[in-house]
Amino acid sequence: MTMNHRRSLANRCNALKSTGPRSAAGKRASSQNSRKHGLNSVPDFESSLEYQTLIDLIAGEGFSAFSCADIAAGLLNYRRVMDAYYDTYTSPEPVDEFLRDMNVKASNPIFSELLSPSGSEPQDVREMAAFFASIQRQERRKGGPVSRRSADTHKLIRYQRNGIARLSRAVRQA
Amino acid sequence: MLYNVHFGIYVDVAMPVEDKSKSLLPFLSSPKLLPDESEAEFQSGLQSLLSELDNPSPLAVALVSQLNECLWWIKRHTVDKELLLHEAMARLLSKAGSYSETYDNRKVSEALERYLDGSADQDEAVWIEDILAKSKLTLSDLRVRAFKDAAKYIKMVDDLIHRQHQTMRHLQRSIDSIDYKSRLIKRMDLELEALESRQPVKGVLSLDDESS
Repeated sequence: MTMNHRRSLANRCNALKSTGPRSAAGKRASSQNSRKHGLNSVPDFESSLEYQTLIDLIAGEGFSAFSCADIAAGLLNYRRVMDAYYDTYTSPEPVDEFLRDMNVKASNPIFSELLSPSGSEPQDVREMAAFFASIQRQERRKGGPVSRRSADTHKLIRYQRNGIARLSRAVRQA
Repeated sequence: MLYNVHFGIYVDVAMPVEDKSKSLLPFLSSPKLLPDESEAEFQSGLQSLLSELDNPSPLAVALVSQLNECLWWIKRHTVDKELLLHEAMARLLSKAGSYSETYDNRKVSEALERYLDGSADQDEAVWIEDILAKSKLTLSDLRVRAFKDAAKYIKMVDDLIHRQHQTMRHLQRSIDSIDYKSRLIKRMDLELEALESRQPVKGVLSLDDESS
């Protein structure tokens, strides 16, 4: 068992004792943890420079002011989705190689050593091993980097569908 | 007056529409590429699509560049399907035979990638063949098993490709609609011009006016 392996396991065991953020700032920061792509927020295109520029350009093609606004918003919305799509594709959740490749059974002596100051019992060691085995299963189920990025990007399909439908409708109804 | 429209590209809003189509070209077409991708290839695809349009308007250029991006995504996702298979093959090999803690998944994955490319050195090739022999598998057996393992993710990538095709269909319809509209306006202008040229001098009554 290498020193790094022992240290990683010790860190993970200590992290299990954590009860989350305590300060208001910490709670505020962690409340944003689940926000990944921001596509559920309502965009404010109308105050952006891009929006006005697009309207000016499209107006030159003989569309009405209402249609221009609709098309510009549709185009910017579609770009927003595709930018998020690219970001999701290029930065998938990283693979925890340590957890994926660790041998849980071989780590039992370390668990008992780490738990010994609190008077560990075989039951405690077994529970900790079971806990690590379960998070290892979850990690392995997620697959490698390509599987992860495919799964993450797949979640954005509905945003892309809605984005292109909005743009296409705006252009065809103009 | 210059405006930063997107991707840091500037468009002069005071220029005529014909020039704007050229300025707008980099506006929505400046791609976000991966490190190993060629921008020249991306731009040449875009140019070939644009060359099929007769004097495209700025909006048509914007839509065509989105269409080109869809084609690019299809290419990326198609490569991903093969990579998913390789990933699953490496995972199966890592588990095979005498898998132990020192039998590193990443090492197997990298060696297998080179082995499949044909760029593996002799030691790596022997090592991979040794693991295959230990697990009593041929390369094609391994591929079949990997396909089974990775089926869920391959289906996801197929969905992504299908979505890009649907998006392209929407974009194509929008481009057709703009094209039809511009042709209609041109035709109406011509008809109006023809009518105006046939209109008699003001104040002279025609036969139709007399009859009414």
